[in-house]
Amino acid sequence: MQKCEDIRGRLTLYLDDELQGEERGMVEAHLSDCESCAALFARELNFLNAIRKGAPLHVAPPELRLKVEKILRQEHVVEKSRPRRASRMSWLVAAAAVLLLLALPFLVWRVVKQSSVPAVKTSSFALKAADTHLRHMRGQLPLEMESESPQQISSWFLNKVNFSVKLPNYQESSGQEKLYTLEGARLVNYQSDYAAYVAYRMKDRPISLVITSDSVARPSGGEEIQARGLTFHYNAIDGLKVLTWSDRGLTYALVSDLEERGQQSCIVCHEGTKDRDLLEPLKPH
Amino acid sequence: MMDGLVEMVEFGQAALEHIDALYGYALALTRNMTEAEDLVQDTYLRAASAAHHPDINGNLKSWLFVIMRNAWLNEVRHKNSGPKFVDLDTSGPPVDQLQETPHVVYLRKLEREQVQQAIESLPDAYREIIVLRDIEGFTYQEIATVLDCPAGTVMSRLGRARGKLRKLLSTWQTKSHAKVV
Repeated sequence: MQKCEDIRGRLTLYLDDELQGEERGMVEAHLSDCESCAALFARELNFLNAIRKGAPLHVAPPELRLKVEKILRQEHVVEKSRPRRASRMSWLVAAAAVLLLLALPFLVWRVVKQSSVPAVKTSSFALKAADTHLRHMRGQLPLEMESESPQQISSWFLNKVNFSVKLPNYQESSGQEKLYTLEGARLVNYQSDYAAYVAYRMKDRPISLVITSDSVARPSGGEEIQARGLTFHYNAIDGLKVLTWSDRGLTYALVSDLEERGQQSCIVCHEGTKDRDLLEPLKPH
Repeated sequence: MMDGLVEMVEFGQAALEHIDALYGYALALTRNMTEAEDLVQDTYLRAASAAHHPDINGNLKSWLFVIMRNAWLNEVRHKNSGPKFVDLDTSGPPVDQLQETPHVVYLRKLEREQVQQAIESLPDAYREIIVLRDIEGFTYQEIATVLDCPAGTVMSRLGRARGKLRKLLSTWQTKSHAKVV
């Protein structure tokens, strides 16, 4: 007979109908033999049934249903009108086809020429960082640890991620006025592994820093900016400013809604006068 | 030509079947009836005008949920603020009340209201995953697609959400049983 501990570990999967074949049979066989596991199963099932019996929790108001039906009907009308429009315009299509044939050699030349220029496509890491920033703002990604101390946050990431996170503390060391606040950190998923997420706030606006190993993500796409031997990739993603770059084995993404290219957000790591040469090239020209 | 029209009508009918589920999910996301109604309409508009509809017998429901979630994320992004918190209408769905005694109807309504209130009071991420799994019956993989996260995250978050919900319900049910008795 299977150990109760093994079965109880699978009980939720069984209740959610996520087990198949042999595994499912194994749990069922155990439940028919073991009273205590069967009792636990019954309790869990009662609890889930209590929730599920409540469904649906809400019914769409009749006015909303009518509005949606109208939306769907209008789409039918659009769909219906498409063929008619196509038949009226058929002579135009024929004319366009002739023009296309005439212009074909020129178009082929343009495509071949353009294909030698690399496509400016936003990297998945930049997209992930922007999405993470947004989810955190919505409260869907609460911080797993809250602290204003860079040291505490750096230590928290020890043994949690496969790389070393060392957050600098320029404010403390320089004695400058506090321009930003460190809020805390959490782990986020990226490419089947954990990436480090650090939340800052500057002038009541959130800034997100996402870090992973450069073996997992390499910055690419967007507008390339050279500064102090590093290549920054700037992307504007749905109103957010995202800067990605790699340095010493790590890849970073800094997300904010600050002005211009969001280069102000760089002060979370680079505030000293000596760092001005890094920030200057990031400003739009 | 006709095939496209027939497909569109079939799609409309099949999509409309999920309106209650989508409205419930919209309320879970927005916590606001007006915003939820807008979100439902926006979702149908985007779905109907999409170039390719999924198989109406297949993954239509989860496809609509993905559209709704993305539409909501865009909305939040534009507003640059978190969801607003207002009281929801707690009237439950109509049940076949004619076949039940008033006492059973009362107990059922009480239980549904408790479940509803407990779910509403969960933190955003927990509320969302309970609605997707226990109210709408999505599989772990479907939820992972809607939430754009690994299935492992779905399992762990669901476990924590149910733990929290269990605590809330057991407390409330103890109180209400005392009242009924």
